[in-house]
Parts: sequence; structure tokens; C-alpha cells
Amino acid sequence: MGRFKNNKKGRVNVKPIAMKKNNQANVDHVTGDKIPKSFVFSRTKLPASVKQLQMDLRKLMLPYTALSLKEKKRNTLRDFLNVSGPMGVTHFLMLKKTASALSLRVARTPQGPTLTFKIHQYSLASDIAQSQLRPRCPPDLFKNPPLIVLSGFGTQELHLKLATIMFQNIFPAIDINTVKLSTCQRLVLLNYNKDTKLIDFRHYSIRLQPVGVSRRLRKFVEKHEVPDLRNLQDVSDFVTKAGYGSESEGDEEGATVTLSSDIGRVNRGSTKSAVKLQEIGPRMTMQLVKVEEGLCSGGIIFDESENGDEKIAKKKQNEDSEEEEGEEGSEEEEGEEGSEEEMDEDLE
Amino acid sequence: MAKKKEKVVDSGLDTIKSTVHHHSEFFDTLVELIPARFYLPDETERKWFPGLSKAQKARAKRKTTENLKKARRDRLDPEKSALTTLDLLKQKIEKEKKKLSNVVAEDDDDDDDDESEEETDGRKAKSDSVTYEELRQRLHRKIDELKGGRGGSERPRSHEKRKKIVPNKRKREKTVEEEEDKAKLDVEEAAKDLTYGYVKIDDDEEHGKGSKKRRLSKSRELERALKLEAAKKDPEKGEVIAKKHSWQAATSRAAGIKVHDDPKLLKQSIHKEKKRQEKNAEKWKERVEGQQKVRVEKQQKRSGNIAERIEQNKQRKIAKREKKLMRPGFEGRKEGVINDGK
Repeated sequence: MGRFKNNKKGRVNVKPIAMKKNNQANVDHVTGDKIPKSFVFSRTKLPASVKQLQMDLRKLMLPYTALSLKEKKRNTLRDFLNVSGPMGVTHFLMLKKTASALSLRVARTPQGPTLTFKIHQYSLASDIAQSQLRPRCPPDLFKNPPLIVLSGFGTQELHLKLATIMFQNIFPAIDINTVKLSTCQRLVLLNYNKDTKLIDFRHYSIRLQPVGVSRRLRKFVEKHEVPDLRNLQDVSDFVTKAGYGSESEGDEEGATVTLSSDIGRVNRGSTKSAVKLQEIGPRMTMQLVKVEEGLCSGGIIFDESENGDEKIAKKKQNEDSEEEEGEEGSEEEEGEEGSEEEMDEDLE
Repeated sequence: MAKKKEKVVDSGLDTIKSTVHHHSEFFDTLVELIPARFYLPDETERKWFPGLSKAQKARAKRKTTENLKKARRDRLDPEKSALTTLDLLKQKIEKEKKKLSNVVAEDDDDDDDDESEEETDGRKAKSDSVTYEELRQRLHRKIDELKGGRGGSERPRSHEKRKKIVPNKRKREKTVEEEEDKAKLDVEEAAKDLTYGYVKIDDDEEHGKGSKKRRLSKSRELERALKLEAAKKDPEKGEVIAKKHSWQAATSRAAGIKVHDDPKLLKQSIHKEKKRQEKNAEKWKERVEGQQKVRVEKQQKRSGNIAERIEQNKQRKIAKREKKLMRPGFEGRKEGVINDGK
């Protein structure tokens, strides 16, 4: 793929998945949009559990990320930036552990905004798998990108709106005409709590189960396990025997959907199926702390420590070539309005 | 630790007794865990199986299998008494005591054996009579101990994986109802406020194509950026404009739209573009010149070749004509009479 000039000083040892023979397309064939790709890395040294968290995040972002990205100590942010251009990487997720806190920065290349989240608590994927009775990991779970659901963010506050847009753009969009239901196997959930201002981050795997079928039949069809007919007189007994479903089956009526097509052996199209979520992947509780205009640079437009007041850094004002137009007051105002209108139109 | 010290300090003998009792109980439980045949030395004589004849071996084998079956049945039979290791140990100790005392008193070993046997039988009978209840009690005691109910030693459950952190089902039933109600309320509230990832619908495509037409040229963008900067400098509304612009820019950048608002970068790119154009123009000129040169050369060469050919044709014709008149005895064309030159 892209041949880029690497200075001897900053050699980034990058081995992304795209280096394989079937290169990943930059542009989605179906929608024609650019597929967002990401790098998950850290510039500082991380303790072991945070390294595992980084690995979990990489797995979460699969398939559009570099799973075995190797970063060296002398690689600076500039090196990553230089590499990201030809490879079409759009987002950086950076973990940083300091004495006081662990923070995750989500930034958009090349000069996009940076959101800094402070992670209050986290659980690793392996811990969650150990806590479950039957952890589930089908083989092609990470072959497709996850869906994302954001709850409680609202549309009022600017920084929250920015966060929603940021997260919505990290994962590629779904085209409802051509998407296959069987590719939607994972779900990322972000829940904002207004009172504590904390965002809960969860990662689930989706499983569909037909509703209204007795448990024995379902297990039999799914797994082709030979049932135990010792105590039955007739095969019809096996089929018609009323078995109780699991505890959670009768609970949620709202969690059933009508599928449009067949998925797997059991779920048939246009019948009701229950959507079951099982948690995989890391679990985090984080708080949006800072929003910067540039990639870890530029003015700070939102700072939590200021109680949500927006502050413009002086840095923005110092630029080399400033041409001050000596116009009269009224003309200037007209000019401003004109420029604002232009801006609004173009940025829609 | 403080409590223990208090205990020891307070009433001497009682506490010592209780601690000793405590310790002995602990050791008793340990001993009971070990099956009797490992703990107590086996006093029966082992038969030397390899040294026996075939028939003897077969007999011995049958006997051992029968013994095994019998022993298993006895072990699991609730009617019969199961002597725990502790009981056997106690029996053994008593037996030895008796032996010692009898050796001192009498010299007859046979009597001792009979007596000890009687005693063991007597004890067996006693234990038989109490069997079922005592067994049950013992079982419950063991279960409690294992659960840690007596506050005995804590046995580390190293081989058990703690699989479930989910609370027990009993607890669940109590609190499930409360949680359900809460959950319903939360779900309703949350459902109003859900945002999902992007979903492409056909309508959006047209909109996207439409907006591409409006791409400004870089110079125009530079003008705009400079204007914006000036506007920010404005003392009155500058800050407001600056804030608004920075939020807008951040939002659209997060959404993937490119925002060009930095005049420095714009100037750089304009400069680069200019340089590129110049370079391209030069290359084109060179190319055109080169082509012309080549063309001119070729044409010249061609015309040169043509002229040569014409010359050669002419000369050939002359030579041919002259050849006819080269008869022997003659020197070429008649050049007139000698007398003609007056």
C-alpha cells in the first residue's frame, strides 16, 4: 500500500491489517463513503492491566483498526499523523496513564477535535468473561464492525452533541438496503448520566433466539444434540411436551423483533425473535473532561474544571500573517454577517 | 488478637481447657477426613501372591473381590455402622491400653484377645443400636463444618473456580419486583433519548451530490478565512463569533466534513498549488519544444534524402545514355566536325 517517506528519526513500526493481500478499501463500495479507520495506542508506558484494556479496545474497533500496532518509545504523535494520511486512518484513540488518572483521548485526524475522557473505573474483557457462567465468543464475532447506541446525551449541550457525533463517526454507517442482519453481531452502548456526568461504556454481543418455541426443540435444532427419549412413549411427546422457558423469556415483550430474513438455522424470517445481549469486552465509566480544537493542540473549547464554561485560549489569536483590513465599522459588520452566512451555508 | 489476649488473661484454667478442646476438635476433624486404611497401620498379614500356585491364586483373587464387594456394601449400608477413622483409632488405643494393663496383670495373651474382642463386639453392638440417628447427626455436623458454620479452620477453595458473581436466585426473587418497576421507568425515560449510529437511506445521497457543487476555490476560501479572523478580532462580537465558529468547526470536523479556516495552512496550500502549476507548465513547454525539434529534424532529414535521390536518378539516366555510345573504336559523343571551328 502507500509508500511513504519515513525519516530515520521517527520510524513507526506499523503493521496494520491492511498490509495483507486483500487490502482494505478506503472507500466503502456500497455507500461510497470513506470508511473510518482508527489507531489505538499510547504514548506513555502503561501498566499491565491498562495494556490489556488497550488490547480490548483494539479488539472492539476491529475490523477497521490495526490489531498489532507496534509503537516505539521515540515515536511521536507526528509520526502517527504522517502514517495515517496515506493509510486512510481517521481516528486516534490514545490512552494515557498518569499518577492522578487514566485518560482516553479520542481525536480525529488530521486536525480534528480531541475529546479527553477521564476513566474513573474500568473492567477488562477477561474479567467479565470470568464472571459469566457461559461466556460466548462465536468465531466471526469481530469480523464486522459493531453498532452503536447512545443514550441520555440529549441535543442541548454542545460538548455532548460533539461527543455523539464523534462516536457516531468512529464506526461505519449501515446501509439498510444492503446490510445483512447476520453481520450485526456486536453493540456498543454509551449511557450518559446527567446527575453524575459520567458516561457508562458497555460492549455486548447480540444473539437472536426465536420466541415461542419450546426449549427442547430449539436446542435440538440449533445444536443437533440427540435428545433423551428414554422416558417418552412416543416422539410426539417430545415435540408437544410443554417445557418451561428460561426465567427471562417471559419478561420483556419489547425486546422481540420481527426479522426480515432468516438468520442461522433457528431464526426464520418474518417471525418473532428475541434479542439477547451478552456482555463482552471492556466496561468503563468515564467523564468528558476536555475538548480541544486541534489534535491534542489548539484552543480548549470545553473544560470540565471550569464548570462547563467555554474558554478560548490565547493561542488561537497568535498567528503569523494577520491582515487587518482597515474598514469602517459598518462595512466590517456587513462583511461579518456575509461571512457568517457563507459559513453556515457551506457547513450544512 | 486483643480478644485472644483477654481470654488468656482472664480465667486461666477454663480458657486453657477450651483452647485445648478446640485444638483437639480440629485434629479430630482432620483425622476423620483420612480414610481408615491410610491412617491406621494394617495389621493383617499380606499374602505373598506371586509365590502361590495357580489354584491358590484364583482362590485368593475371588476372596479379595468378595471382600471388596462386601466392604463397599457395608460402607454404603445405612443399617450397619460405619466406623470412622476416629472411632477405629479410639478402639485401637483402648485395645493397647488393655493390652498393657493385661500384660502387667496376667500373662495369658489369649485371654487378652478374647477380652478385647468382646469389648469391641460390645462396642459394636452399642454403635449398631444408635446407628441411624448418629449417622445423620454426624453427616449434618460434617456439612456444617465444611460450610464453615462452626468457625473452624478456613479451607482455601483453590480448585473451585468462582464462576458466578451473580447473586443467588433466592435473593433475586425478593428484589426482582422492585427492580422491575424501577427498570420500567428508566427504560421509558431512556427510550425517549436514544441516538443510534448512522444509517444510510437513499434520500441522503442526493443531498450529498448537491452540496459538492459548492466547493469554493482556494483563494476564495483564503479570503473567507481572513475575513473570519478579522471578525474574531472585533472587540464587540469577536468572542461570540469565535466561540460559535470553533464549536461549529469541531462538530463538522468530527462528522468528517473538512473545514478550512486556518489562513496559514490555506496560504501554504495555495503556494504549493502555484508551485505545482508552474512546474507543470515548464514541463509542458519543454515537451512541446522537444517535439518541435524532433519534427524539424525529421523533416530536414527527409527533404535531404529526397533531393539526394533525385540527383542520383538523374545521374543514372545520363550514365545510361552515355553507355550506348561507348562503342569500340569511338570515344563518345560526336562533338562536331574538325572544320567547324572557324
